[in-house]
Amino acid sequence: MFGFPSFSIFLQMFLNGILLGCMYGVAAIGLSLIFGCMEIVFIAQGAVMILAAYCVYWIVVLSSIDPLFGFLLILPIFIAFGWAMYMGLFRWVAKAGKNPSLLLAFGLMVLFENLMSVVWSPDVRTVKTWYSTATLSFAEINLSVTRLIVAAVALIATSLVFLFLKKTMMGKAVRAASEDMHAASILGISPVGVSAVTFAVGIALAGVAGTAVCITYPFDPFFGLTFSLKALVAVAFGGLGSVAGALLGGVILGVLESLSSYMIGAGWADAVSYAAFLIVLIFRPEGILGTVSTEKV
Amino acid sequence: MSPRFLLKPKLSYSFLGVVLCFFIVYPLVVDAELSYLVYFLYSTFIYVTLAQGWNLAAGYTGQVSLGQHAFIGIGAYMTAITWRTGWTGYLDPLAMIMSGLGAALVAIAIGVPLLAKLRGDYFALGTLGLGEILRVIAINGGSLTEGTAGISLPSSSYVSMHYYYYIALLIVVIAQGALLWITHSRIGLALVAIREDETAAAANGIAILRYKILAFAVGAFFTGLCGSLNAYYVFHINTTGAFSLNWVIVPILMASLGGAGTIWGPAFGAFILAGVYELANIWMPELHPIFSGSFIVLVALFLPDGLMSYLTGRKDRILQKLPVFHWMFQKA
Repeated sequence: MFGFPSFSIFLQMFLNGILLGCMYGVAAIGLSLIFGCMEIVFIAQGAVMILAAYCVYWIVVLSSIDPLFGFLLILPIFIAFGWAMYMGLFRWVAKAGKNPSLLLAFGLMVLFENLMSVVWSPDVRTVKTWYSTATLSFAEINLSVTRLIVAAVALIATSLVFLFLKKTMMGKAVRAASEDMHAASILGISPVGVSAVTFAVGIALAGVAGTAVCITYPFDPFFGLTFSLKALVAVAFGGLGSVAGALLGGVILGVLESLSSYMIGAGWADAVSYAAFLIVLIFRPEGILGTVSTEKV
Repeated sequence: MSPRFLLKPKLSYSFLGVVLCFFIVYPLVVDAELSYLVYFLYSTFIYVTLAQGWNLAAGYTGQVSLGQHAFIGIGAYMTAITWRTGWTGYLDPLAMIMSGLGAALVAIAIGVPLLAKLRGDYFALGTLGLGEILRVIAINGGSLTEGTAGISLPSSSYVSMHYYYYIALLIVVIAQGALLWITHSRIGLALVAIREDETAAAANGIAILRYKILAFAVGAFFTGLCGSLNAYYVFHINTTGAFSLNWVIVPILMASLGGAGTIWGPAFGAFILAGVYELANIWMPELHPIFSGSFIVLVALFLPDGLMSYLTGRKDRILQKLPVFHWMFQKA
C-alpha cells in the first residue's frame, strides 16, 4: 500500500493517466451530447463501443488492414446507425418520458451484448499491430505509441465535434436544443432532426472510443458496461451537457485512476474514482466546469 | 372477459385470497424439493420484493435508485459474516432482520447527503457509484470478505426447500402489505406529492428530505432482507454474485413492465417477466439472452407506462397509446 513515487515515476503515471483519460473523454463526450438532447444517461454507450471494437477487429482480421483505416470505414456506418437508432426507436419512446427511454437504453445494452456473444462468441479478443508494443522514450519516461495514437485520435475527434458545434448552423441548433428544447422548437428548430443529428454524433464518438478500446485492451462482449460507468463518472466530473467538461472529466478520471492504482494498489483504483465521483456529486453537482443552472419551478 | 375484474376491489381481494391460499398450500401437496414451480415461485417472490423496494422510492417518490445491488450485497455479506463468525445461525431471523436494518442504515447514511443536494439523474448516478464502491471494498476486504473468491457457507445445514419458500412468501407478503399501508396513509400522499412537484410539496409543509429518505430506507430494508435470504439459499457469497448489476436491472424492468408507481403493477410485472424468462430459457436456451434484451426493448416501445395503466383503464385505447401507431391517430 501507499508507495511514494519518485518524480519521474509520478510524471510517467501522470502522462499515462492523461493518455488513458483521452479515451474516457471521447466516450464521455458522446454520453454528454446524448444527455443534452434526450436528458437520459445512454447506458448502452459502452456496448456500442464494444460493437465498434468488434467491427474493427473483423475488418483487421479479414482484410489485414490497419485498425485506424478500418475505423474510417466503420465511421459512416456508425453515424447512420446512430441516426437510425434515434429515428426508429428513441424518437417514439421519448414522447412517453424519461424512464421508458432509460429502459430502452438498458434493453439495447443487453441486446447488443448478447447478440455479440452469440454471433462472435464470448471469447476475449485482441488486435495486434506493428506498433502494439512500441514505446517512445524521453529521459526516463516511456510512453506507449498505441496510447499516443489513441490520444491523438481522441483530440482530433473532440476538435471536430467542437468545430461542428461552434461553427456550423446545425451545431448551433444542437446547442440551442440542448439548452432549452422548447424554446428552440419555437424558433423553428426541428426537435426530431436535431436529436437525430446529436444521436448520430454521439454514436459516432462511441465508434471512435470503441476503436481506441480495440487497439489498447483485450475485450469481450460484456466489457462495455465498465466503459459506460467510466464515461458517466467523467461526465459528472465535467458537468452534464458540457463538451469541453466531458473531455476534461475523462482526463481527470484517467489521471486519478493511474495515480491511485500506483500509490494505493490496482484493486482500489475503481473505488477511488467512484468515491471522487460521489464527492463531486455531493459538493459540486454541476461539475468542475459546469455553471450553476437555475431551478425550474 | 375483461381483465378489469382484477381491479374491482371486492373481487380483487377474493382473487388475491385464492392466490395466496394456492401459494401456501401448493408446496405441501407436491414434493417441494423436486417441483420446478416451487423454485420458480421462490425466486419470483424475491423479485417481487425487490421490485416493490425499488418502486417505493422510484415509482412513488420519483427518486430513481440504481444502487439496489449495494443493499443486496450488504444483506448477503452481513448474513455470511455473522454466520461464519458464529454470532448467528442458519436461517436466523435475527441475522436477516439485522441485514435488512444494516442496508436501511447505509441507505440513510448515503441518502442524507445525496437526497439533500441531488435530484433526478444525479441521485441515480450517486447510488450507482455507491454500489460500485461497496463492490470494490468487498473485493479488497481481506480475510473478512475473502476477496473475489468470496465466502463459502456450510451447505450441509440445508434442511428443506420449504423453509426458503415460506420465508420468501412471508417477506413478500410483508413487503406488499407495507407498501399497501404506506401508500394508503398520509405518508403515501406525501411521497406522491414529492414526486409530482417537490417545490409545491415543500410549500405545503412536507418535510421532503425526511420522506425521501424514509422511502429509500424502507426499500433498502426489504432489499437487504432478500440479500440475506439469498445468501442462505446459494451458500456461497462472492462479489460478482452479490453486487451483480442484475439485481438493479431486473427489478427495475419488472416494476416498469407492470407499472412503476402502482401497488400491484410491480408484482404483476415480476410474475410476467420471470415467467417469460423461464419459458425462453426452456424453449430456446441459446437465444434466451437475446430474447430478454429484445423483450425489454419491446416493453419500452409498446408499454412505456406499464401494464397496470392499461388494465385500470386510465389510458385510452391501447392501439392509440402504442407509439408506433401514433401516426394513425394524428390529425392532418
